Amino acid sequence: MPDQPRSIALAAPRGIGRSLLLTVPMALFTLLLFTPVLRQPGRPAKLAALIAWGFMLALFFLMMRTRETYRWRRIFFIALGFLFPVGFIWDLVALRSSMSIPIERMLSGDTPFCFMVIPMTLIPAALTKTIIFPGSILPTASNPHSIAMMVALWLLATVILGKAWCSYGCFFGGLDEGFSSIAKKARLRKINPKWRLVPWAILVAIVLLSAATFEPIYCMWLCPFKAVTEFPEVRSVQTAVQFGIFIALFLGLVVVLPYLTKRRTQCAFFCPFGAFQSIFSRTSIFDIRIDKEKCGAGCVLCQNNCPTLAIDKESIQSGKTLSTCLRCGACVDVCRKNAAVWHIKGTPVGVSPERARLLYLYAAWVFASMFGGSIIANSLQKLIGLLV
Amino acid sequence: MLLPWLGAEPRELRATGRLLALFLGGRLAGYLGFAVVAWAAGVAIPVEPRTRTLVFGLANFGLAALLGISAFLPRRRCPPPQDEPAPRLYQISSRDRFRPPTALTLGFLTGLNLCPPFVTAGVRAAATRSLPGALLFFAVFFVGTAVWFLPSLAISPLRRFNVVPTVARMTMGALAIYYAYLGVVCAASWRLAPSRTADFFIFITGMVCHA
Amino acid sequence: MKRLPAVLGYIAAVLTIAVAVVGPLFWFGVFGHAAAATSLRIAPMYSGGEPARTLARDGYQIVVYKPVPKPAPLSQAAAFVQIVWTPASKLPAAISEPLDLDGDGRPDCVVSFQIPRDPQAKLHVTVEPLTALVLPMHQVSRDSFSSLIARVNDTVVVRVPLR
Repeated sequence: MPDQPRSIALAAPRGIGRSLLLTVPMALFTLLLFTPVLRQPGRPAKLAALIAWGFMLALFFLMMRTRETYRWRRIFFIALGFLFPVGFIWDLVALRSSMSIPIERMLSGDTPFCFMVIPMTLIPAALTKTIIFPGSILPTASNPHSIAMMVALWLLATVILGKAWCSYGCFFGGLDEGFSSIAKKARLRKINPKWRLVPWAILVAIVLLSAATFEPIYCMWLCPFKAVTEFPEVRSVQTAVQFGIFIALFLGLVVVLPYLTKRRTQCAFFCPFGAFQSIFSRTSIFDIRIDKEKCGAGCVLCQNNCPTLAIDKESIQSGKTLSTCLRCGACVDVCRKNAAVWHIKGTPVGVSPERARLLYLYAAWVFASMFGGSIIANSLQKLIGLLV
Repeated sequence: MLLPWLGAEPRELRATGRLLALFLGGRLAGYLGFAVVAWAAGVAIPVEPRTRTLVFGLANFGLAALLGISAFLPRRRCPPPQDEPAPRLYQISSRDRFRPPTALTLGFLTGLNLCPPFVTAGVRAAATRSLPGALLFFAVFFVGTAVWFLPSLAISPLRRFNVVPTVARMTMGALAIYYAYLGVVCAASWRLAPSRTADFFIFITGMVCHA
Repeated sequence: MKRLPAVLGYIAAVLTIAVAVVGPLFWFGVFGHAAAATSLRIAPMYSGGEPARTLARDGYQIVVYKPVPKPAPLSQAAAFVQIVWTPASKLPAAISEPLDLDGDGRPDCVVSFQIPRDPQAKLHVTVEPLTALVLPMHQVSRDSFSSLIARVNDTVVVRVPLR
């Protein structure tokens, strides 16, 4: 997304030796987490795991060397977004020759649980102690993506990343980011900031409707990503209409609008889980602050380059980004005055921002390697298996 | 849909309570009206699925239209400034004057719910063979469901946040889309099913899924 | 004292890294045990509810579940009773069975279906009500969660909608 020249203050890269030194702890951390993946039997699995591990380390090294975050994070995120459906759909087709979920799978609790469902399940679970999803509470042989596992993953991600889940974990966001990166210039530049409130409206609507119907409304009617994962088998007029809606939403929100606006439109203007995760935006110890004195008159480069419109004139005045900030680093990397900086809560703003950035990246990249890296490895394994 | 609709306009607690009362009044009117019809004709609305699908679909379209209109209607005008005396012939815009009785209508449409328990209740009401009996039956039915709406009074204190009315309106728009979806499905089901055209439509969509 | 917030901030940052590194090694197992210890269950609309009684037949069993009420006022699903024939591989070619669904000793409906030889073939079920409790079904396959017949693993699952 940042189309402008690199910030002057970031022009001097870090030395190779120091960059390697800073990468060593990441290599050790991720080796610890990648070991189960590396131990998988078969040459394709091992090769894929090594490639994924090396890919993550290479990007981290470049983050250390160039002192930039956004550019290298984006490469990982887009790779995750496009490779996730490859592995997922591959497994579906291998299992049942189709992306559609037959009702038999739902009745046997074999539907993989998606984190998007979490907000919808809360009220029914509180009222009746039941989960309104045709999955399984614990992992089974036929369904490793159980409800407990995904909720545990979400809790872990929220503690570590907060809202930065949308920049380091959510594979759906990778698709959005990928399509927003294609065009050189935005064709639709003026976006009314009120569109940022739509995800909250959708969140409220689906939570209320799910509580009133005891059905996961977003999954049934509004999820664009059903088009690239799995969807209920078309067996009635209703399921046929729903399938059409999924395709239309995916093409509109994930492909066309990001291409035209060069923003993450699905994430910024639609995704209810993003709104839900914004509630936990303030729980993370890391954030991005804007030093008003250094900012001065305001070139609003940060505002213009933010993929989700999480910076506006009021937030610059208050020295913070909005709760919808994804911690992607686009604003920090594009700021020419070092006014937008990484920050650890409790510390003075602008003092040792690079230290704050390093500590943030160690946490975020470890999680990204564990979660996203294993997904990339799984998908690469399928592709390598075709060649080897 | 009640919560976003109540949150869409900045109102005091009393005003919210008044609107809630109107909503519940409309809902009660729907229930009692159905009781009268059920008593008058035995089972007034046939349980034949196709007709029920059509009525339910029309009710969904009605709800969607009402929610959509409410979402996009302009906010109430501010009262005139304190230092200007209110003119006796204060010009109220035609939109304000002819604002539809939304609370009552919303309540009535949600009360007209042809779900199986409602129809079953209608059958039982019809079986009483007495109008007072049918009305009493549905009044008790109403009380049992209405108690769930009382917590919505809590929306009033949230109006001090400026974004709440905007989000509430957008939520109504989202709910309008959902009810429009249901209306489309009902209309498609009524028009197509059970028929070869419906089977063909489902078959083609299924083939696209598997492609 | 002035430096205390900064010190605490750095400690929290380092702890976050520690959680990121160490957490995945044991957190999922701990949370899984905790989830299993709660009384959380999958919603009966999907799971079919709790078994009520088992009827023994020649070579197979019929498990009748407890009635599942309509889950919520605006839910599209109706109330239903799930009935499971197990094992599917031992079932005769045609089933026509009067069943008591509410446990009052009187049969409430007759459930009829055939088992094709091809295990991938679609099943169709016909339900004739014998009491006012049950709604009729005629050659229904997989209409909705409250009205269906499906082969799930080595069982045949039928869901009969209730009034």
